[in-house]
Amino acid sequence: MAKKLGKKARKFAKKNLQSVLKRRRKLKSTFKRRAPPRRVGQGDGSQEDEKMKAEQNIEENAEAVSLGGSASVDYLENLFGGDDEDLDEDVSESDGYLSEDPDCPYISESERENDSSEESGQKDLTRKNKEIVLELVEQKKKLDSLIEKEPDFSSFLEKCRHDMEISRREELYSDEEDDTSFPDGVGDTDNKVLTSPTIDVWCWLVKEEPNGPALRNLLSGFQFACRYGIDSDEVMAGRIQSREVFSKILMFLLCEADGIFRRMLGISDSLSKVNLLKVKNKPEWKTASPLIKSYLRSSLYLLNQVTDNQILNFVLSQLRASVVFFSAFPSIARRLIKISVHLWATGDQSLSSSSFLIIHDIASQSPSDYVDMCLTKTYKSFIASSKFVDDTNLKHIDFLVNSLVELYSLEIEKSYERALTSLQQLASILRQAYKTKKKEELRKIHNWQYINCLKLWVKFITCNFRDNDFQQLIVCLIQVITAVAHLFHGPRYLPLRLKCVQMLNELSLSCGVFIPIASLLFDSLDYRELSSMNEASGIRMNFPSLLKVPKQLLKSQEFQTECILSVVELLSAHFGQWSYHISFPELATIPLILLKRFYAKTSIEGLRRPVKRLIDQVEQNRDFIQRKRDEVSFSPNDQQSVESFLQFEKSGSNASFTQYYASILQSSRARNTVGLK
Amino acid sequence: MRSRHVTRVADYEDDGLEALYEKRNRKAALLKAQEEELQVDPADALPIKTLDGKLQYRIAKKRRSEEKNDDIECASGDKDDDIVRLTKAERREKLKKSKKEAKKLAKQENELDIHAGKLHAEVLEKVQEELSAEEIFAGKKMKLAEIGMALLEDPESNIRSLKELLNICNDKDRNIVKLALMSLLAVFKDIIPGYRIRSPTEKELAMTVSKQVKKMRFYEYTLLSSYKAYLLKLLKLEKQSFFHQVAVRCMCTLLDAVPHFNFRESLLASIVKNISSSDDVIRKLCCDTIKSLFTNEGKHGGQATLEAVRLIADHVKLNDCQLHPDSINVFLSLKFDEDLGKSKRMEDDDKVKKKKRWQNQEGSKQLKGNDKKKSRQELMAKTREEVDADFKAVSFSLDAVEQRRMQSETLSAVFETYFRILKYSMDPSASRPKINAASLAGGVGPHPLLASCLDGLGKFSHLIDLDFMGDLMGCLKKLAGFSEQHQDSGASDQSSLSVTERLQCCIVAFRVMRSNLDALNVDLQDYFVQLYNLILEYRPDRDQGQVLAEALKTMLWEGRQHNMHRAAAFIKRLASFSLSFGSAEAMAALVTLKHLLQKNSKCRNLLENDAGGGSLSGLVVKYQPEATDPNLSGALASVLWELSLLMNHYNPSISSMAVSISSMANLNPDQNPVSLYAASPLQAFVDFSIERELLKPVGKPLSLNQKRKRENREGFSAFSPDQIQLVGSFINEDRVKKKLEDHFKLLRDIRENERFRSELNCTKWSIDLYEEYERQRK
Repeated sequence: MAKKLGKKARKFAKKNLQSVLKRRRKLKSTFKRRAPPRRVGQGDGSQEDEKMKAEQNIEENAEAVSLGGSASVDYLENLFGGDDEDLDEDVSESDGYLSEDPDCPYISESERENDSSEESGQKDLTRKNKEIVLELVEQKKKLDSLIEKEPDFSSFLEKCRHDMEISRREELYSDEEDDTSFPDGVGDTDNKVLTSPTIDVWCWLVKEEPNGPALRNLLSGFQFACRYGIDSDEVMAGRIQSREVFSKILMFLLCEADGIFRRMLGISDSLSKVNLLKVKNKPEWKTASPLIKSYLRSSLYLLNQVTDNQILNFVLSQLRASVVFFSAFPSIARRLIKISVHLWATGDQSLSSSSFLIIHDIASQSPSDYVDMCLTKTYKSFIASSKFVDDTNLKHIDFLVNSLVELYSLEIEKSYERALTSLQQLASILRQAYKTKKKEELRKIHNWQYINCLKLWVKFITCNFRDNDFQQLIVCLIQVITAVAHLFHGPRYLPLRLKCVQMLNELSLSCGVFIPIASLLFDSLDYRELSSMNEASGIRMNFPSLLKVPKQLLKSQEFQTECILSVVELLSAHFGQWSYHISFPELATIPLILLKRFYAKTSIEGLRRPVKRLIDQVEQNRDFIQRKRDEVSFSPNDQQSVESFLQFEKSGSNASFTQYYASILQSSRARNTVGLK
Repeated sequence: MRSRHVTRVADYEDDGLEALYEKRNRKAALLKAQEEELQVDPADALPIKTLDGKLQYRIAKKRRSEEKNDDIECASGDKDDDIVRLTKAERREKLKKSKKEAKKLAKQENELDIHAGKLHAEVLEKVQEELSAEEIFAGKKMKLAEIGMALLEDPESNIRSLKELLNICNDKDRNIVKLALMSLLAVFKDIIPGYRIRSPTEKELAMTVSKQVKKMRFYEYTLLSSYKAYLLKLLKLEKQSFFHQVAVRCMCTLLDAVPHFNFRESLLASIVKNISSSDDVIRKLCCDTIKSLFTNEGKHGGQATLEAVRLIADHVKLNDCQLHPDSINVFLSLKFDEDLGKSKRMEDDDKVKKKKRWQNQEGSKQLKGNDKKKSRQELMAKTREEVDADFKAVSFSLDAVEQRRMQSETLSAVFETYFRILKYSMDPSASRPKINAASLAGGVGPHPLLASCLDGLGKFSHLIDLDFMGDLMGCLKKLAGFSEQHQDSGASDQSSLSVTERLQCCIVAFRVMRSNLDALNVDLQDYFVQLYNLILEYRPDRDQGQVLAEALKTMLWEGRQHNMHRAAAFIKRLASFSLSFGSAEAMAALVTLKHLLQKNSKCRNLLENDAGGGSLSGLVVKYQPEATDPNLSGALASVLWELSLLMNHYNPSISSMAVSISSMANLNPDQNPVSLYAASPLQAFVDFSIERELLKPVGKPLSLNQKRKRENREGFSAFSPDQIQLVGSFINEDRVKKKLEDHFKLLRDIRENERFRSELNCTKWSIDLYEEYERQRK
């Protein structure tokens, strides 16, 4: 395989890079000498050597950059003197290796870059580096003078260093995981620095001929780039000297790799999990799989390494295309899930959504054990990250809920069991709280994790109710929610209660069951008018991000207004749902009486107006239904007729109450966005 | 062993002492509990028998049966087998520390001994000079123990020692005082005879009597005077906060143990005073004592009951009804024997005449019973007579007439209290100035006693005097509708009763009426109106749902509705009610509703959409949901459309209930359907309460019934498509490239920084090494 790659590379080289070939011939003999002992799984030893070599290399470069190369030679020799012979021998087997253009002036180039592109943010670090270098020079001079004075000292020093080096190395590599070792054949390394033209050529080659050896090299370069800065693997780091190369490699591979692999394997863009098995049996798979593995693994390194949201976002969105390949490598897939779940839970909006897409694709395109893993991991990190809710992360929580629902909707049967288990857990917490009424037990419920968990299941049911029979789940969920609402009464906990009512409304709407919520809201209508109305405190209350009202705001006018507006909103949602039901007049009877009483008692115009509007609308609708009802002749026990009652009117959405509810919703949304600002 | 105890006591700081004391008490209780078990063992029988839960005997026992004591010690914590050694060390330490204290205590001891004027005083005096403080304490305890032991072994000859014990109560050491109080309590509990001691008259004193009698008289006199002194001491100490709990506990125990004995009145007065204490422990103690007084009337023949009830009545009166509800709740454990003296009635007709109100009531009761019952009653009375005779022989129960007199007086005191509370609740101005008193009662509300008063009225409704009945009903009516008027006027007043209390008023009124059905013929319409409107006032978490359910049960479910319009109005209202309220309330309402429909076959018209309600609609042609009078609501003209919505109820039980109710329409008017759920509204409420619902096992998840397999997996269910598509548009490749370059640069800088640093360190290290090199060379 390597030979094949090599041939093609040679062809290209003959054509394009005559000077390179010359140099290569010179080196070839040494390569071969070193090659035989290097086998699969011996990564450790070679890495060690590579590391040494790289260190020296970089040292050389750096010294050249900063000191002009003169003062440091002695020192370097002192440091790595023993390894000198190894340097040339330590090259890996790679027939198709393309060495860099020797004419390219690296050192000066990188220096120039350094100076020209210094930005304010990085100036600090660069300046510090310079300071350190200055000190280094000074210290070195001192050392040199010492050595000059006492020549024996240098050998003593040498010995000490050697000892320390050995002990350090042992420490470093004794616990290194196998996992990080290179995949077979791809980890070919050299001490040659990659240059921008080289990369261009490689890219061109790869595009021309995907099966060529250039891809291999590019991937190894990609690997260096991705691992750049991760650990002390200086070899890889040393091979990339310019940021242009760095970005070029990354961009090219991230954008093109998936397409290249697909072309290599001869598969179309859409590949399902069933097809993957077929692909695995293809002969091409053998060639491609190490390359794919390397690519995927490297990209994960990159994901771990990078902190910038845009880069992460870009990487994720490019990786998404190759999700199907991940399932071929379980350990990598697990890591991908881990990383993306983390990013999903903690990232910003776009990053979170691209991570979600990855998770979703893994869950939907891969074997089902990945689904389990995705569900567990996402659920856990959702719970962990929903501990605190405020104005800023409300949207994010909503997003998390939605994406979890997406994932759980993939395999309803599994999710159903999970939902039931989770609900039973919630119910048992609640039971305990009802039994003891202890503060700490109550606190377990009166927190965002509990509420968000409820929210999740409500959403799950509302999204999947149409296709499934969730009867048991629904009853259990409704019981838990109503119990929570009843457990915390009193005006302080009103926001929590309103949330419960809202969830009940959602459930009721999507499942078509009747849930009496009116009594949960009556309390708010009973609140006496504040005797000494506090002046507007200026603090706007945002109910969505509250569970409990701060004590000092309990008597504020804002709170009361918010209360009434929320009650109006929730009641109108409740009425809106049943506005065409034949028993709407009865449903509205008691709430109407109480609303009217409230209206008569309040003197605050800001509260009177919305209440009055609701009363008018409800009465209007009630009269409408009553009129229609008088025309029919069936009785309540004639369920079919009851169901068909006013179905025609219902389908046309221009009824006044529907419009009214829409306007209420709109104004409440406007209120909340104002509150956020 | 002895000194060890002293050490422990001396160890504690003042506030710790109380804890220690309690611990000891508990230990004593433990010992008591072990008593039975221990008694079995003959070897241990003697010391343990003497114990009897008394402190000094515990100590005495300690001396004798160390082994057992050690077991208990171990249980209590810090001491183990190596106690002796440890104690010695401790003692040595203490010795130094408390020399000063010892002297002081010794002095006290001297004083005490002189006071006592005992024979061995001088000896003791000498000895005590040498004793350290803890030994003095131990000595005192020993003394307590010895005296107590002696008293218990032979009370008659050692009766003088009581005085000695009483003297110890004057000790300066508070703990000794406590111990002495407890010892005395134990002794008195044991030696007080089963009769009341009457001090001899002068004539009797003048008579020459035998030596035996003299001795007896002296014994009784000493006992009585010491007991009196003890009680006085208790009453005095009760006022000190340090002794408060001990004193109250002693008094409660005494009253519980010897309610028949002299000075009961002062005991009672003191306990009743504490019955509404803000201290939960004391209040519970007092209430329990009073309750046991009420339930164990055999001990004192009922007189104590009467006294207690009167005292409580006075207490309530004095405090303007601002007490803890517990103080009235004790009345609920009163037992009134209705059959009492019934058998005697024939014979003592003239006497019974005095108790006209009783006769009235019982007469009416008697009339109700048929012949069979009568003969059975006679048989029962006969057997009871025999038993009574036997009982009388052994106990000192009073004759039935006297008992009945007391009972009726008790009753009148109880009802006096109840009526006082009712009256007080009705007076809106009365409750306000007593805010601080109300807060003392635990913040139960402006009428802390009303709820338990209504409970009591409900319980004893059958005993209420007919003369009061009219007033009572008036009161209840006013109370039930009291705040209604206020609400209408828009005034927000604190004194209005809560919905629960008003419902309770209605319930009590019904109970009273029902238990006196034949005697009274009062229209209960007003209460129905109240209930009809109160249903709207009900708030699930503020008011007690159980009371509402009970009201539904008492007023609608039980008994028969004769008024069709009213029944229909309630049916309609309950149906609407269940559309707004939770499962428990809805279920209670539906059970009632169904029952009403069963009883009133004509109301089943509501189930059918009969245009205009037919001829039944009566005065009001159209249903007025907002009417306050059920008779005027015109509910007969309506249709129970609620049921069709209730069939969609999430709770399967409610929806099936709704189905079963709506199916009643198809039945014949006379036919009664088989009941699906036969429980009363109260039971239904409990069954469907949230706690109960949560407890219901969810059961193994049924395999999911998928209605249809989703075909299209591409679409998202929770997200709207544009929400997701938004993601891609954010990515700008050039910017990503730029960012990547920056990223690289940053990484490189970091790396270089690291490298330079390490190099620098290395160089410095090398230079440092030079010194070592120099040293080595030398």
